[in-house]
Amino acid sequence: MPASPIERVRNFSIIAHIDHGKSTLADRLLERTGSVAARDMAEQVLDSMDLERERGITIKAQAVRLVHQAPDGTAYQLNLIDTPGHVDFAYEVSRALAACEGAILVVDATQGIEAQTLANVYKALDLGLTLVPVINKIDLPAAEPERVRAAIESVIGLPAEDCLLVSARTGDGIDAVLAAVVAQIPAPRGDRAAPLRALIFDSKYDAYRGVMVYVRVMEGRLRAGTSITMMASRRTFTVDEVGFFRPQMTPTDELAAGEVGYLVAAIRDVRAARVGDTITEADRPAAAALAGYRQATPMVWAGIYPVEGDRYPDLREALERLQLNDAALTFEPETSVALGFGFRCGFLGLLHLDIVQERLEREFDLTLITTAPSVAYRVTTRDGEVVIVDNPAHLPDPAAVEVIEEPRVRSEIMVPREFLGNLMELCQERRGEFIHLEHQAGERVLLRYDLPLGEIIHDFYDQLKSRSRGYASLDYELHEYRAAQLVKLDILVAGTRVDALSAIVHREKAQAYGRRLVERLRQLIPRQLFEVAIQAAIGGRIVARETVPALRKDVLAKCYGGDITRKRKLLEKQRAGKQRMKRVGSVEIPQEAFMAVLSLDQG
Amino acid sequence: MSAPAAPNPERPRALYVHIPFCEQRCPYCDFAVHVGGAARHRGYVAAVRAELRWLARAAVVPAPLDSVYLGGGTPSRLSPRLVAAILGTARARFGVAPGAEVTLEANPSDVTTRRARAWVAAGVTRVSLGVQSLDDGVLRQLGRNHTAVQALAAIRALRGAAVPSLSCDLLYGIPGRPAVSFQASLDRLLEAGPDHVSCYELTPERGTRLQRQVTLGLVRPPHPVANLAQHWWAVERLAAGGYQQYEVSNFARPGQESRHNLQYWRQGWYWAVGSGAHGHLPAAIARRLGVDVEAPEPGVRAVRWWNHRGTARYLRAVDETGSGWAGWEAVDADQAELERVACGLRLREGVLLQTPAQRRMARQLSRHGLLTMAGGRARTTRRGEELLEAVTRRLLAA
Repeated sequence: MPASPIERVRNFSIIAHIDHGKSTLADRLLERTGSVAARDMAEQVLDSMDLERERGITIKAQAVRLVHQAPDGTAYQLNLIDTPGHVDFAYEVSRALAACEGAILVVDATQGIEAQTLANVYKALDLGLTLVPVINKIDLPAAEPERVRAAIESVIGLPAEDCLLVSARTGDGIDAVLAAVVAQIPAPRGDRAAPLRALIFDSKYDAYRGVMVYVRVMEGRLRAGTSITMMASRRTFTVDEVGFFRPQMTPTDELAAGEVGYLVAAIRDVRAARVGDTITEADRPAAAALAGYRQATPMVWAGIYPVEGDRYPDLREALERLQLNDAALTFEPETSVALGFGFRCGFLGLLHLDIVQERLEREFDLTLITTAPSVAYRVTTRDGEVVIVDNPAHLPDPAAVEVIEEPRVRSEIMVPREFLGNLMELCQERRGEFIHLEHQAGERVLLRYDLPLGEIIHDFYDQLKSRSRGYASLDYELHEYRAAQLVKLDILVAGTRVDALSAIVHREKAQAYGRRLVERLRQLIPRQLFEVAIQAAIGGRIVARETVPALRKDVLAKCYGGDITRKRKLLEKQRAGKQRMKRVGSVEIPQEAFMAVLSLDQG
Repeated sequence: MSAPAAPNPERPRALYVHIPFCEQRCPYCDFAVHVGGAARHRGYVAAVRAELRWLARAAVVPAPLDSVYLGGGTPSRLSPRLVAAILGTARARFGVAPGAEVTLEANPSDVTTRRARAWVAAGVTRVSLGVQSLDDGVLRQLGRNHTAVQALAAIRALRGAAVPSLSCDLLYGIPGRPAVSFQASLDRLLEAGPDHVSCYELTPERGTRLQRQVTLGLVRPPHPVANLAQHWWAVERLAAGGYQQYEVSNFARPGQESRHNLQYWRQGWYWAVGSGAHGHLPAAIARRLGVDVEAPEPGVRAVRWWNHRGTARYLRAVDETGSGWAGWEAVDADQAELERVACGLRLREGVLLQTPAQRRMARQLSRHGLLTMAGGRARTTRRGEELLEAVTRRLLAA
């Protein structure tokens, strides 16, 4: 299939808050344009990872080509680049947006604009994208389209009358969306005769075909047989195949300026085709590369260890594989006295961490122990050295520390006015610094707070939701490092310090934190053959102590012929069940204990 | 007690025969049991004998048996003629070594002097009597069809018939019964002077009426710690009476340990016939019986196999194939090691530590007062025995 004339191409994303109906809308567009036969529609086609479908979230950006027959008979090529909605994956959103000229902004008619939506709207406007506002779920009894329309005008500044009213569920208004995409979003520009410049906006590793590179061609043409050079990595490959997604991979003759698709070129090393790099022709290179992306920076670090030590090389390979299509994941080898050899991994947030662990276990058949997540502290020692500490166990001796600085974020919280008090209280509890408050249309308030990242990586979002009956939304970005009174809290189990349980906490909260943590550990560590003391210590000082009493009785009265098989099977099962136990000294600590901090009640 | 003998790698010398017939099902029992139907005994015994012939053919040169155990169910419900028929077939097909232990499980209500004599004449050398308690209230609660008086009379009858060795079972931990009930039963039992005593904690097994009653809150089992107290009281009382504990729940006068049961705990081989019976055979023999253990699988030394549990299904299988077996599994070296340690730790003689890792772990456990070590063997201490399953798990984690 030859390339479409550039004026008949439209590239767009959908910006939406979680649950506002983005995937349903995408499905409906696919269906209406005949890209997927109705009978083949698995719910939410674009979320192709099992995990995504199970959880109803989008993790990876996806790109799919729709062919839209306008009422006047003209065929348009529409490239829909799907974006994730969770705050952890904001980075993937900017990548997707950079490949587009426009975006459909979806707002739930029953909910209104959320902080996350707003953040993505700003990103889109920064990139000069045209927005097509769509108010979804108008079929619901609780829908208030007029109120939401007014909010879109007052908060975002898009004319209220431009908002399209849609029900993605029933299919109402979908044709108007397609018409608006064609009419309002500009066609891409780019000289198809110029030397090739194509932006890599994503990649995926396929065991048979190597790295599949997702590209947006900006200038020139990309064909099978073309010899290409990656402008940053300076590696050269010959293109085996180009094509697009419908949503299954569909080979085509060429991708020309303005078009979106994939290429396969027997690329075995993912580092050779980095997301954000520019592809050009080897024989006729472009003068300059395209503006790439800001590398996603991990916000949260945790140790990942194989339960069976001999699977360490497998874990390394799995992480390398995963990194191929999860550029935001970082990892470095580390060792723990308690857990052995593993990796300190950097994540965008806790959801990202959870998804990585789940994928490692599911796709690579590993059994893992993950330690409590931490942020990265900047430590200046007395001799003037500055070190970044992303593992509390590595905090230098307090005597040698001049100052510890913690990362702080600038956050935006969008909340109905009635819950304002609750959320300000929450932010104060988390050592937040009030910056600004802005009243907005529809009884909503935009709240800006400076918060220590370490205080919000876990439980903050849940608290935010529960203290606002689910109405609040959050966006944040890293702002600065600032000195704080921080101390290292160690946990001793049966007198042995367990490095993987150490944490860096604010001095004023340390004792209470220690008490809650040992109490939680007492619940998580099962009774053993002997009594086990669990202590929390700051420096050499014990600040909390709990005891797990010893088992009292564990003996079966009988063991004859058939009992032996039964007993062995039980032992084998227990051995397997024990897999997530780590023995530290003579105590068996279950996997959950290393994440105990995540299940603490905030006191 | 005889020294632990190295199992002959090729020739099982123990035989278990399951007799499922019972007058009624006891509320705590989870064995393969067939209630009623004396008319069926003959057919069942014929099947057992057919199975013995089938096994003996496969064994090529069977070794003479050193122990035979007729368990149940209630083997004493069979007419002595049928008992004699089973033992006769065993003798004819496998041979029974001189001095072999031939045990028959009996209910007190089935025992008469005449029957006891007939059993002895048939070759029975040991009777294991299901006394359970000498408290009539408890016996009624347990759904037993005998009284304390009958149990003591049965013991006298067995002695009168010159049964060479007598074992009695007692239960403790009966819901709602005071400790003194069990203690008085044991005292009275010891006056009657059995050679061997088994004291079992009553355990609500899955699928039993007792377990259902516990789940529904109708009966409340004693606190586990109270049961431990009963256990240690029994250990001391029996020791004072000359009975040494040799396994968690088993006690014997010197030389009166159950040779057959020791085979279970020492990883010995045994044939098994009858419904629901479990056998433990060398892989080479199992292969000859048609078990499809791959010949050059170096790790697999042993096969555990089991017969159909339902009597009708069992009879049909024997009728159709000559054997009642329903399933089997290969036991590789790792699994055999699990069994060896798990069973060995139940014995007072303890278990031989075979790897440096085991020795390291055992030393750690002994520092915590759970094991003692001597002569390369580990034995549980009192506290270690109370936590036997956890100690086993830990030692096996080595």
